[in-house]
Amino acid sequence: METVKISIDGRELDAGKDRTVIQAAEDAGISIPHYCYHPKLSIAGNCRMCLVEVEKIPKLQIACNTLVQEGMVVKTQSPQVLAARRGVLEFLLINHPLDCPICDQAGECWLQNYYMDYSLEASRFSERKEPERKRQPFGPNVVFDAERCIKCTRCVRFLDEVTQTHELTVLNRSDDSTIALFPGKTLDNPLAANVNDICPVGALTDRDFRFRARVWYLKSTPSICPGCSTGCNIHIETYENRIARFKPRINDSVNGHWICDEGRYCFHGLTGGERLTSPLIRQEGGKLVPADWDSAVQAALIGLRDTEGLAGLLSARSTNEEAFLFARLMRAFSPKATVEVSYQARDLTTVEKILKSPDRSPNYRGAREMGAGTEPGWESWRDKLLDGDLRALYLAGEDLLSLFPDPERILRAIRGLSFLVVQDTTLSPTAELAHVVFPATHFAEKEGTYTNRRGRVQRVCCACVAPAGALPDHAIFGRLLAALGHPQAGSNPADVFRQITAEIPRYRDLTYESIGGAGVELEGI
Amino acid sequence: MEKILLRNIEIQDSHKLSVYKSHRGYAALEKVLKGMTPEGLTEEVSASGLRGRGGAGFPTGKKWSFVPKDNPKPKYLIANADESEPGTFKDRLLIERDPHAIIEGAILAAYAIQSHQGFIYIRGEFVFGARVLEKALDEARQAGYFGKNILGSGYNLELTLHRGAGAYICGEETALLSSLEGGRGWPKLKPPFPATHGLFGCPTVVNNVETLAALPWIVDRGAARYAALGTEKSKGSKLFSVSGHVRRPGVYEVELGYPLKSFLEEVCGGMREGRELKGVIPGGSSVPVLRRDEIDGVRMDYESIAAAGSLLGSGGVIVMDDTTCMVKAAWNLARFYAHESCGQCSPCREGCHWLEKIFARIEEGKGNKDDLDLVLSVSGNISGNTICPLGDAAAMPAVAFVKKYRDEFEQHIRQRRCPVTAAEAQASAR
Amino acid sequence: MALEFSAQALQKISAIIGRYPHKQSAVVPVLYVAQEEFGHLSTEAVDCVAKLMEIPAARLYGIASFYSMLHMKPVGRHHIQVCRTLPCALQGSDKIIEFLKNRLAIGPGETTPDGKITLTAVECLASCGTAPVMQINDEYYENLSEEKIEKILGFLK
Repeated sequence: METVKISIDGRELDAGKDRTVIQAAEDAGISIPHYCYHPKLSIAGNCRMCLVEVEKIPKLQIACNTLVQEGMVVKTQSPQVLAARRGVLEFLLINHPLDCPICDQAGECWLQNYYMDYSLEASRFSERKEPERKRQPFGPNVVFDAERCIKCTRCVRFLDEVTQTHELTVLNRSDDSTIALFPGKTLDNPLAANVNDICPVGALTDRDFRFRARVWYLKSTPSICPGCSTGCNIHIETYENRIARFKPRINDSVNGHWICDEGRYCFHGLTGGERLTSPLIRQEGGKLVPADWDSAVQAALIGLRDTEGLAGLLSARSTNEEAFLFARLMRAFSPKATVEVSYQARDLTTVEKILKSPDRSPNYRGAREMGAGTEPGWESWRDKLLDGDLRALYLAGEDLLSLFPDPERILRAIRGLSFLVVQDTTLSPTAELAHVVFPATHFAEKEGTYTNRRGRVQRVCCACVAPAGALPDHAIFGRLLAALGHPQAGSNPADVFRQITAEIPRYRDLTYESIGGAGVELEGI
Repeated sequence: MEKILLRNIEIQDSHKLSVYKSHRGYAALEKVLKGMTPEGLTEEVSASGLRGRGGAGFPTGKKWSFVPKDNPKPKYLIANADESEPGTFKDRLLIERDPHAIIEGAILAAYAIQSHQGFIYIRGEFVFGARVLEKALDEARQAGYFGKNILGSGYNLELTLHRGAGAYICGEETALLSSLEGGRGWPKLKPPFPATHGLFGCPTVVNNVETLAALPWIVDRGAARYAALGTEKSKGSKLFSVSGHVRRPGVYEVELGYPLKSFLEEVCGGMREGRELKGVIPGGSSVPVLRRDEIDGVRMDYESIAAAGSLLGSGGVIVMDDTTCMVKAAWNLARFYAHESCGQCSPCREGCHWLEKIFARIEEGKGNKDDLDLVLSVSGNISGNTICPLGDAAAMPAVAFVKKYRDEFEQHIRQRRCPVTAAEAQASAR
Repeated sequence: MALEFSAQALQKISAIIGRYPHKQSAVVPVLYVAQEEFGHLSTEAVDCVAKLMEIPAARLYGIASFYSMLHMKPVGRHHIQVCRTLPCALQGSDKIIEFLKNRLAIGPGETTPDGKITLTAVECLASCGTAPVMQINDEYYENLSEEKIEKILGFLK
């Protein structure tokens, strides 16, 4: 890439020829404050916060719309620039409501942050602030507060340029300007909640997260969305060990700056309910009763080992490490075991196709590459089950009854099994039919890797502590393997991953470090 | 001085093509299409020294020369008939009484930049003016002065009249472009500039109708004749719109360089009976007001008025006598800019209305001693930091009124009422 | 209830669009036609134009709301727009507005109960030399005085 020599605040830099000053500064680790600029949206140049001094040009220039040129000398901290920033902040604050104590944005608000960095001035505004509409639901996931809005138009541009659904517009003129929906319409496209992320202030806020927690109490863990096989990079943010929200994590190779609404809120469905904290065994009389691990492991072994028509079904939300152990375990139970990874297909609308995959199975590909699929595919396995070809089943991580549109058929198939072991976080309807139940953990309570549908290996990280008594899938598989006489060198994820890289050629040169935060795309299909 | 811009307006039916033609109408166009290249025409106009008459005063020939010749995209010529600068009403006169001068000028300008599509953007309120122009365009088209193969020259030009819908900001050239593209009248970021990236991203020139109306005469009589008028840097003549407290308000054509004081006292008839000049805004509301003691020796040209601390601008001369409350005047203008701000950028959107509120509060008798410095500070934060000059246009009068009439403002604040109207009330009570 | 243009209006619109090299440019002229046809630019009217012009409804809504002469709310049969900017103010526009307020018993921005007259204070109409000035619908009325206004009001049906 061609570069030009520029200087920012006395630092000599080689800037990409087509970069703007704000981008060249960002590339060099220099932050220039801004609101309306967003690397993925068109340039608006309306906030005027990024004004900088460019030598030989009398007026200050906005860094977001100034292309670098050979020999350009830029100052981002000169007295003139700092005065302009204070001025812009003052203008944005004069009609801004004193909502901080009740505003969700507090703690991650760019008005607060820049005010602390660049102003700290007392208000000189002694006029009446204009009251406007507050708490206006724009859609199921977005609330708008017109008083807080700084009219940066990021939301309008996102919906015009990224989703191309055009729900929002700027209404009126002068300081009556406000953001508006067309009357009667709703902001509910599949990527709508991204506007809450890109809004620098509390004008657009997430309805699901509303008043849930103060952001400075949130613990943030980088991980991967378990919604589908796109593998959007996220931050899992928890409050007192409960997931409060997902936020997108920037990865230009996967999801850019965005996540879809379905993925954003999917943690609700995956983490709720009354958690299992003890293994359960079905008594002779018929009821499931708590048992210790050794008894439960033994009971499972008796029911599954060397059984004719043994099958295993692993949730596609399992990690590669878990899948690797599961595959090994099922083979140890019976070399003829029919093993598969669950797969939920779906159709996608145009807007959904921007991010979502035609499935709800985040690690289908990775799990199968670990050997957890003996069948030509999910449909083939499913048909065997429905046809009654499977006699015993080890089901890990899925509520089988909820995977099918026709529960009657599947219920009959399950009742027809001679032995059923279910491993799950709650006592699901399918678990209630099991002979042995193992208490497991959900996607945010474990560490490991996922491989998305494009073959990108990404790290899943542990964001929550599981309730006492529950164990991660890989630990349970480890115990069963040990009981079968196949102890693993280690069943913690890092150890398993080392085994994976030793045994599965395509994963050969990987380490958790090399995967890092951005992931690694594997060669070949 | 021989009338150039106002040469036709007193003639009966001057808006008709037949009358226009009988007074050398379209002779310039014939001359150009017969034997001048676009470059030649541009040079001629440059030599005349004609500067943009809308307010910016940029040399017209130079503006045309910025259009890249070898750019394959279509080029557009736009006549700016969006006259909305307070105190300015000269374009309306030309539109209603000499539309063909504007049309001929537009065709000449289009030819110079090799445009084949021109627009006349007229403010929505000029309904009558739009009708007159529409009729004149029909006449001109029928007569073959624009359309295909104009006067057998092979040059094609389509002209379209476009009505605005009530927004002062659309007089700013990039806001005009946004509006003509079918959007909100939002000014565009510069760079890039309209000469290379204008209407729909194509090279575009926007010229004020007064500028265009001067072209036929310049081309017909020759640049030298035009350049012989005016001063060294402000050539030719300009229309000045005079309003406010003078005896003879109206539109006047003045050779640039004419002494301002004489103009007001003699040409405009001076002040009303028993009144004294208090202040005059020489170039439309966006330029700094001049106090009575500041106009001695000032001449009506770009350089002299600039030297006096103001700007020639649109030539909208607003005269205020000693019955005027300068606080109210400042408030009135602040309210104008607050109402007309497009709302795009933070300093203008929030700052203009803030200025209005401060002036309103002072006017009502609720001002405090920090308010004046606050006005200066807020204006300073707006100036130079906005997308377009409307921010500066709001800041300049606010600063000028406060600075030049500071005593009156301070008195108004201290006494919690207008000292001028109080004095007037006292005087008439006597 | 979806609004539809009359055949006449559609012809007008067609002619307007035909005058521009880009259909988009005709947005404001077409909004004028819609305003005339439907009385004011209601939500339904905006939706109708949006479909015709192939523009997202929200965007058109934003565009229409920008311009002072496009009315998103109903306006009386006679829209009296009095200029209030400095040159007219110097010639007593305040008093004119006050006179009309009292005469019509409505404030600026309001409409008489019978829907006959809307009174608005507007910015510079570019007729400063004949101040004070007002515009009623398409017509300018200049050099105003209370007597003159009284006469003009008498002519309004």
